[in-house]
Amino acid sequence: MEMDFCERSGCSSPSLTPMATPLRKVFGRIPGLADGCTNGRMATRNRQVPQQRDSEQEEFQHANSDCLSSYYSVFVARLAIMVMLTILIGLLTILTWHITKSYTAKSLNNLAYGLRYEILQRPVLRMWNILNSTVDITTAQVKLSEYIIRQYDNSVTQAEQVERYESMRKVMWALFASRRALDAITINYRNGFVQAFHRDHRSNNAYYIYSDLTNYSIGVSGSSSAINMASPLQGWDNQSIHGNLSAIWYQEPLDPTTGDKIGKARQILPDDLINIAGLSQVPDGVASWHVAVSKYSDSPLLSAALPVWDPDNESIVAVVGVTTAFYSVGQLMRELVELHGGHIYLTSHEGYLLATSTNTSLLINSTKGPELMMAVDSQEQVISLGAQWLKRTYGNNFPTNHEVHAENARLADQQYYIDSFFLNLKRLPIVGVIILPRKYIMGKVDERAFKTMVILISSSLSTLVVGCICIFLLTNGVSKEMKLRAELISHLNARRKAEASSNYKSQFLANMSHELRTPMAAVIGLLDILICDDCLSNEQYATVTQIRKCSTALLRLLNNILDLSKVESGKLVLEEAEFNLSRELEGLVDMFSVQCFTHDVETILDLSDNIPTLVLGDSARVVQIFANLISNSMKFTTSGHILIRGWCEAPGLLRDFVKPPIDQRKSTPAFTYQTKMKHIGCRKRRESKNHNEVMLCFEIDDTGCGIDPSKWESVFESFEQADPSTTRLHGGTGLGLCIVRTLVKKMGGEIKVAKKNGPGTLMRLYLVLHTTASSTKQNIRANYAKHDVAVLLAVPGSMSRSVMSGWLCKNGMFTLEASEWNGLTQIIQELLQSNSDTVPLQGFDRQYGQKFHGMDGIDNRDGKSPVLIIVIDIGLLDLSTEIWKEQLRFLDKYRGRAKLAWMLNHDTSNVVKMELRKKGHLLMINKPLYKAKMIQILDACIKERNSESLKINHNSTSSAAKYCPPESLLEIDAVQFDGGSSDDSSIEFSDLRKEDINESGDRTSSHCNNEERKITCNKRVSPLQRSVRSNSCVAKESLDGLRILLAEDTPVLQRVASIMLEKLGARVLAVGDGLQAVKALNCELDADDTASGQYLSNEKRISLAKMQFQSFDLILMDCQMPKMDGYEATKLIRKFEDGTGIHIPIVALTAHAMSSDEAKCLEVGMDAYLTKPIDYDLMVSTILSLTRRKDTTDEE
Amino acid sequence: MDVVQLQSRLSEYLKSLFNDGTLDGQFLQLQQLQDESNPDFVVEVVTLFFSDSEKLLDDLSSSLEQPNVDFRKVDAYVHQLKGSSSSIGAQRVKNACIAFRGLCEEQSIPACLRCLQLVKQEYLYAKNKLETLFKLEKQVVAAGGSIPSLDAGS
Repeated sequence: MEMDFCERSGCSSPSLTPMATPLRKVFGRIPGLADGCTNGRMATRNRQVPQQRDSEQEEFQHANSDCLSSYYSVFVARLAIMVMLTILIGLLTILTWHITKSYTAKSLNNLAYGLRYEILQRPVLRMWNILNSTVDITTAQVKLSEYIIRQYDNSVTQAEQVERYESMRKVMWALFASRRALDAITINYRNGFVQAFHRDHRSNNAYYIYSDLTNYSIGVSGSSSAINMASPLQGWDNQSIHGNLSAIWYQEPLDPTTGDKIGKARQILPDDLINIAGLSQVPDGVASWHVAVSKYSDSPLLSAALPVWDPDNESIVAVVGVTTAFYSVGQLMRELVELHGGHIYLTSHEGYLLATSTNTSLLINSTKGPELMMAVDSQEQVISLGAQWLKRTYGNNFPTNHEVHAENARLADQQYYIDSFFLNLKRLPIVGVIILPRKYIMGKVDERAFKTMVILISSSLSTLVVGCICIFLLTNGVSKEMKLRAELISHLNARRKAEASSNYKSQFLANMSHELRTPMAAVIGLLDILICDDCLSNEQYATVTQIRKCSTALLRLLNNILDLSKVESGKLVLEEAEFNLSRELEGLVDMFSVQCFTHDVETILDLSDNIPTLVLGDSARVVQIFANLISNSMKFTTSGHILIRGWCEAPGLLRDFVKPPIDQRKSTPAFTYQTKMKHIGCRKRRESKNHNEVMLCFEIDDTGCGIDPSKWESVFESFEQADPSTTRLHGGTGLGLCIVRTLVKKMGGEIKVAKKNGPGTLMRLYLVLHTTASSTKQNIRANYAKHDVAVLLAVPGSMSRSVMSGWLCKNGMFTLEASEWNGLTQIIQELLQSNSDTVPLQGFDRQYGQKFHGMDGIDNRDGKSPVLIIVIDIGLLDLSTEIWKEQLRFLDKYRGRAKLAWMLNHDTSNVVKMELRKKGHLLMINKPLYKAKMIQILDACIKERNSESLKINHNSTSSAAKYCPPESLLEIDAVQFDGGSSDDSSIEFSDLRKEDINESGDRTSSHCNNEERKITCNKRVSPLQRSVRSNSCVAKESLDGLRILLAEDTPVLQRVASIMLEKLGARVLAVGDGLQAVKALNCELDADDTASGQYLSNEKRISLAKMQFQSFDLILMDCQMPKMDGYEATKLIRKFEDGTGIHIPIVALTAHAMSSDEAKCLEVGMDAYLTKPIDYDLMVSTILSLTRRKDTTDEE
Repeated sequence: MDVVQLQSRLSEYLKSLFNDGTLDGQFLQLQQLQDESNPDFVVEVVTLFFSDSEKLLDDLSSSLEQPNVDFRKVDAYVHQLKGSSSSIGAQRVKNACIAFRGLCEEQSIPACLRCLQLVKQEYLYAKNKLETLFKLEKQVVAAGGSIPSLDAGS
């Protein structure tokens, strides 16, 4: 078993080593796998660039194979664990079995050995006793015989002889009787006379055997004794006995206890019964021992013979023999064996059996009579087999110590213990053998061991099976996880592939749309040329226009796709430019209202006053956001309104300036211009230092079909529409909102669909934009409240009306509302016609009705008299019939007391327009009405009123008609809008204003300021329009008299800038670099320095510097110039100025247009900065603000 | 050809220059600046631009051919070119210059050379166009018409 185990462990160890390597691999792979996973995740995060893809795929395959191999290694690991478990359990079993079995066996063996030794020892001791007692008896007999013989040595007579023999007999009997174990006791006299006692153990009879006395002549014996003196053995002739056939032997039965004769003696043959020890047995005169057999005993006999010497110790007179049976030894052995089982036998040295524990005969009857038997020939099978086994195993070479202890000797299908002891008795060496069946000692142990073994093996087997199942179950989970992971990886792979393909797709789309754009541009350009062509028929013209519209739509779609892919690839860069947000939105609303008109939808723009006018950002993208949102709303809104609401969320950024509470503004009108300008002046620097962020919030609120709340998120996905079924109805690609969201996110904002009460959709978004320094000029509106203005809104759309009236109220004006013609007439009549006693219509009427009535009498004596402005939607007139002329006539009646402003539809016919114009209604705006237009109306009205108050004669209306070019009322078209925001109404107003200027001749300073404010408000318009305006509204010589130093190295720029400035009336000195600029400032100073040496007093230096510096009002400084750049030059100039109290404004010219550059400019001491190319208006306003501040400080 | 036809051709041509991005609003502003006191202002400035740009382009080519290219210098040249081109409204030249500056930061010579080529192309293209424009204007003036500059480019 142990060998077996060793073998197994031996063969399993080489199989373990290859197993260990995959195991190690598994453990090594696990972090690797994790790495692969994280890499994969990372890779998914950064969007794929084509070059990366290959390496990723490789990595991926690697991960895949990793997974597969780890899957296998799990299998191997499972096997290994099972094998290890098997080995462990096997080992435990074997160990347990070994400990229980072998220790017991060993201790039992020891015990058994002792037992066997003990068992054997006892018969041997008995044997020893027998021997000793035999010897004792023999010796006693000899001594007694010697005594008796000596006693009767001299007896010569027959009687004396008989007496001697009689006494001898008695002595012998005494000895014989004392030892019951004795078989026989004999004495053989020299003369051949024999006396013997014999005991038959079987019949328990005792006999006295003697030879006939008569045949022996005593005398002979006496005489011969003398003769044989020389040789003691002479005359001792066995032949004399045996040959003395004539001698008669008698056997006398005796009472075994008393020794009395109980029967008659009968004659027997000599030597018939017993061996009579004769002289032959003591040839050398010493005692002899031998084992003999007798006829009447079936056991061997031990006989001893001793000579009896005569008193002179010269001759042997008799031989005494004692015979003892081994019978008692056999008896003892039988007893022992009965107790313990097994067999014991004793043999002589030669191998003759002396005694056995069985009852079988120890003698063989041969022809010569019974003889001793070899142990091998014993009739008892076990003994003969044991003897054979011993002989076979050891042969004649007995171990040196003459002891044999053999266990597991197999005799006839049974295991035996065989132990043999050698007793080296003098003259009679004896071998004792004990054969014990193993069963007797180890039977129980073997049985127990077998049972234990069976139990152990079965229990370990069941444990093994259960363990294997457990392992299988446990690792099954792991392998399942592995499988899942492999699946996950394959899914990842699939997803990545899908992503890659979608990426390819979008890239393809981007490329395609880019490629398509070029021919599209050509198509549109050609169409434009075609449209310009005069020789087209009307139908052709219509078709071409249609084609152009379609092409534009297609181009927009392409642009959308391109935008989307640009954003997706992260290539979209938002430009950071200043733009007028509200103007852009107004333009958008103008554009969309045209589209809206067909579906009876109001488009309303409601921007809060706190929205900064100028913000920094990407105007095109902002417009795109709103255009998409509005067009989206429009698609789904068939009736109702689309309301764009906007407000600024972070007024803290403009904290001390914006939104001074309206009532405060109203209450302190005196504090108007100058303080405000100062405010601006101070703020300018502060504001420009920190680029303020504002959060602009917007809501697009429509009354369309709405979006299901579950789709609120998904509508922002690309190619996603809330309801697929509407695609056919409304068209569109589903890209719009996606672009919106990406753009909004890009601007740091967020967009979502908000919950709305009532039908429709409410989109809420906010954008984070920067404001600029110049944005501080926002919101400076004239205080209309002080003009006592009342507005009557006669507009059918309720939503736009309420929004507008809300705004007007907030700005301190009082409003009246009418939704249709009848209401309007009623209000007008109530206000302007009826008597003061009539019931006032509204609260407004209570206050103003009186005033208006009074106004009739006063007749505009005072410029501050209240004015009623009636804003009338052209839709209120009944244009289908001729009634509208009547209606106009009705309104004409009130011309003197109220100003009429007309809201036209874009499709209002020219006839109506001409009619209105003819009647002197010059205030016309296109729908929709929003804040800026309202302001224009208000401004125009107030101005008109002012001029009226100055000039009694107001024929200006007729002259104004001359100035109005027919195309001043441009029809707003979406296509045109792309070029820039349309600003038709402002053109009209500027014309009006010009007229005013011409008429009034002298300009007040506040007037001029008004103009400038106007410019800043209208900043972001197309160059063309700007130039138109700059021609008209900016004073031609607004920079008149200013001395400007221009430092610019690029000749082109130098030339352009100087011409620009000169045109504005400034005197310009242009220099090529910073060094020259510094020199130009300092030349005189330097000259003086050199002239008067270094001892120029400080005061003088200051005055000189003042003088010198005052030669220029402003410096325009390019930042990057050779020799000395703008920053250095500025630093130098500021150093010169230090301590003189002079501050010459320096304006940086930079092409960088980044905030860091701006910061750098301001840091070195520049006051403002302009980006290249030079924006005409911005430059003028900047220069003016800087020089003016200087003026005001000078004045102070 | 009569004056009207010439004028319409001129305005068409100017429009096309705006449409293909050769020019932008800045050019119109230049035209605005031209008046009786500076009758040839645009031509003068543009000629200045030509000479300046040619010098800059030469400088650029030579500095890029040097073994150790000083990218700061190159950047400064390009910056200057950008400034002047944006001042006359040569939009495409300006855009090329912006791209060029981006590449200057990356300091890759082959890319810079490619970009220089592009800038040169754009410049020559703009020059060609502008010269044609001036020729047309001259023809118009010779024919006795005025230059219809205001309504162009809408």
